[in-house]
Formats: sequence, structure tokens, C-alpha cells
Amino acid sequence: MSEVGHASKVRSLDEAAELVPDGATLAIGGLSLNSAPMAFVRALVRRKVRDLTLVAIVAGMPVEWLVAAGCVRTVVSGLVSLEGFGLAPRFRQAVQAGEVVMEEYSEHTLICRLQAAAYNLPYMPTKAGVGTDMIGLHPETTREQVHAATGERYVACTPLPVDVAVVHAAAADARGNARVEPKLVWMDSEIVKAAATTIVTVERIVPTASFTAAPHLTTYPRFVVDAVVEAPWGAYPTSCFPFYGYDGDFLREYAAAHREPASAEEFWRRRVAEPETHADFLDANGGARALLAIRRKTS
Amino acid sequence: MSSTGWTVDELMIATLARELTNDTRAFNGAVSFVPVCAYLLARRTHAPELVWGASSIAIDADPAAIPESTLSDALWDGAAMLSNSAYDFWAYAQSRRYNTFAFRGAQMDAYGNVNNTTIGPYESPKVRLPGGGGMADLGCMIPLIYLWSSTHDPRTFVERLDFRSGIGWGDGGDHRARLGLPGGPQLCVTNLCVFDFEPESKRMRLRSVHPGVTVEQVQEATGFEVALPVGGVPETEPPTAEQLRILREEVDPTSARLREFR
Repeated sequence: MSEVGHASKVRSLDEAAELVPDGATLAIGGLSLNSAPMAFVRALVRRKVRDLTLVAIVAGMPVEWLVAAGCVRTVVSGLVSLEGFGLAPRFRQAVQAGEVVMEEYSEHTLICRLQAAAYNLPYMPTKAGVGTDMIGLHPETTREQVHAATGERYVACTPLPVDVAVVHAAAADARGNARVEPKLVWMDSEIVKAAATTIVTVERIVPTASFTAAPHLTTYPRFVVDAVVEAPWGAYPTSCFPFYGYDGDFLREYAAAHREPASAEEFWRRRVAEPETHADFLDANGGARALLAIRRKTS
Repeated sequence: MSSTGWTVDELMIATLARELTNDTRAFNGAVSFVPVCAYLLARRTHAPELVWGASSIAIDADPAAIPESTLSDALWDGAAMLSNSAYDFWAYAQSRRYNTFAFRGAQMDAYGNVNNTTIGPYESPKVRLPGGGGMADLGCMIPLIYLWSSTHDPRTFVERLDFRSGIGWGDGGDHRARLGLPGGPQLCVTNLCVFDFEPESKRMRLRSVHPGVTVEQVQEATGFEVALPVGGVPETEPPTAEQLRILREEVDPTSARLREFR
């Protein structure tokens, strides 16, 4: 097939960040310290978007940065932490101070709400959360019910429509076909399917022939992807399996800096908020040396 | 290290490992160093058929060492399958093909319910904790639940939770069965003792105290009344030399487990 005549969806980080208006419901991909679209998150931080409702199912650093930058009104999540590196300090502080609202859902009720939106159904059922306080936090969106025919207790999860989803992947073409490689999609698939607009940041942009040669490896088809951004090391300091791991030094230093407000602010300005470009950001955090240290050997 | 040649983290892991069998089909969530070590230890000793989905993703993983995050891809080396999607995991959890899960909370009550959401009121928390994650789900779905805590004190083991993030035996008695939930908590292994659950009330009952710990010390460290077994409380069986060697040399050579004991 000829490659002429197709509109390109390739955008810069800053152009793609323009697709997220103030007040949007923004869903962020990744799982804990794996594959979060951090380069894009930083573009939002620099753009100073406001009043976001952030949907992040099992997350840490993306929530931290957007909260720290004052971009967030509400966090909709199952878990926000830095795992073995400790509690998420900015998130914790902001919620305790009443600056940000945490709307906690259990992981599976949140997945079910996104699936209800994805399938365009009134609700998705699950047995998750029965007998906990989690369900009572939001009786309008997670309703405990008893099935009329079987008597089984379940939770009906109403749709959670997402304005914009952003996920990080291995490769995309200019038309918007994208693949996670190997195909570890986890809940990113749910947020993409629930979203009106999807932005995919990728390690590299490749020709469409790369997709037609191996169509079974494609994760997201072009008709659901609205913008493609080439962002090598775009998940840093989280990992992008199998290319690179998370940067343990960054995470340790981030956690240590947040023991004192002054050092937290210094770390935040110098190593996250102020570097202008993605390259400046990587340089501010050890540059080539740091990246080579986390590069995974894929033998 | 104690004079007997083992430390309490090793004792807890060996104790949990002994509960696991060739029919154990387990997976792990975030910050779960103790159960991850126990799964790997059991698989390398008496339960070679045990199934472990590392991070709920990597089936039969065999990592050379345990990283700082138990959801990290660094835990997945040697896996026979990397699960692709939410469906790959949640279908097996909700249908009980996975049958074993371990969780803990910043607070735990006598029925093995846990709180990892807030200390203080939900709306105006004194401490905003990370959140329940999957524990609210998996407490409802998985029949064999194990609890652990490396901080056995009255702030952790409380009479009343500030928030019930995950269900153990609920309100006790037949509450789980009435809700239609399978099984329930089997054991709670702490840095002081091992609890099982009294069959009728489903309250924590002292199964054994670790060597050097008294029943009185456990009661003082526990914010609810500890049920005692008939006929006295034995000492927790120490780890064997083989368990210690495998844990230290093969399962967790970098002592990642100590992240839970700081």
C-alpha cells in the first residue's frame, strides 16, 4: 500500500499536551513503577494545566508530579505509592491538607467502571469490594446489588468516561497504529477504550510497513489513537519493559529529598519542573550515564 | 541475628512458606516482600508445583534477586508467561483459579480486616495511606488469605479500623458466607507471633509465639483481646538450616525483604 496521502498524527510533546484542557478527566497509563508516560506528564506540568480529574489505577510518580505542579483537583485511584521507596509524599501532603480530593476505588471496581464506559453499558458487575467500606464511599457509581435470579451479591459499577487517555508504548506509525512490545497492556487497554481522545507516546516511530508485517503484534488501532509522540526514554524514571528499568537512584533521591520541604522544593525545581526539554530533563538527572545504567540487557 | 542463628524476617517467611502446598496458586501485589519470599522458598523446598504469578503478571517467574518494587519487571525473569491484560488476571482471580493471596494493612482488626486507606476520617485524614489497591477486590475473591505484619503494636492491631479497605472475616462468625464470599483469612504472621482464627467467632487466636516472646507481650502489643488456644501456646517452629540457606543464597540474596523491617 502506498504511504502517500495519509494525515500524520505525529505531534511534539507540547503540541499533544494542548489536547488536555483545564478541567479534563485525564487517565494516565502504567502500573506502579512500570511504563508511565512521564515525558508527557512533565509537558503537562510545564504547561500548568489546571483542575484535572486524574484517573490512575495503580500509580505513583505521575500523580506525584501533577499534584506537585498544582494541576490536579481530584485523584481517582486504587493505590498511589512509590512502593519500596515509600509513600508518595506530595500526594499524601496535598490530600491531608485538603488541596486535592482522593476518590479511592478498589482496583477492580475502577477497572469495571472503565470497562462499562468502553462497552457503552449502564454498568459492569464484579464481586469486588463486597463487605468493605470502599463501596459506601461512592454509592452512586458502585452500587451493591443482589441478583434477582441467583441471589448473588455483586457491585454494579457505572461508566467512568475519560476525556483523554495517555499511555506509553514501544512503537507507533504516523497514522496512529501503536504497539506495546511485548504485549503487556494491563489496564492501559481499559483507559484507551474508555477515552474520547488517546495520546500514545512511544520509544520510536516506525513505518506502517512495520505494522503490516506483524499485525498480530499491534496493540491499538489507528482509529482510536489521536496523537503519536516520539519520546525515547519517555517513561523515565519509571521503566519501559523490556528496554529499560526504573531508575532506583532517582526514586531514592526523590524520597530522601522529600524529608524536608526545602530539599523537596529544590529537587522539584532542578530535576523535574525547570528543565525545558525532554533532553534537558534527562540531562538534569544524570543523562547518558543514568540511562545506560538502567538499560536492560535483552539477551 | 539472634543467638539461634536466624532473624525474625526469616522466621516469618519460613512460617508462611510452611503453609503453602503444591496446590497453592498465588500472586502478589505491591510491597509484598515477605509473601514473595515465602512463595519462592516453598517452591524451592516442599512445594515445587506451587504457582506464583509475580506482580500478578509473570507466571512461574524465577528472579535472581528481588527488586525494590514487587510490581517491578525486574521480578519477572524466567517466567513462562507474561500476562497481557487485566482480563488475564482478574478472570483467574474471580473464578478462583488463583486461590492464595497475602495482604497486610496499616491497621488490622481481630477478624483480619485491613485498612490501608486513611488514619482518621476518610474526608479529613490524619494520614493519607497509599490506598487499598486490589485488596478490597481480592479479599472478596480469593479463598486462602494470609496476613502478615512486621510492626506488631497497638497502632497496627486495633479493635476498630478507621476504614475497612479489605475484608477478612468481616464482622466474624458466618459473615463471609452470608455475603457469598469464599474461604477467608487462614493465618496472620507477625514479628511477635502467629495467629490463626477461632473457628466459630473468626477472631484472631494465638497459635504460637516466636522464641523469646511471651503471651503477655503479644497481648500488650495488640489492641484487641487475643484469644488463646486450649492447652497452652507453643513456640513458633524456627526455620530449618535448609530454609535459611535457600532464602539467603537463592531467594533473596540482596535482602530486599528487610525493606519491611525498618
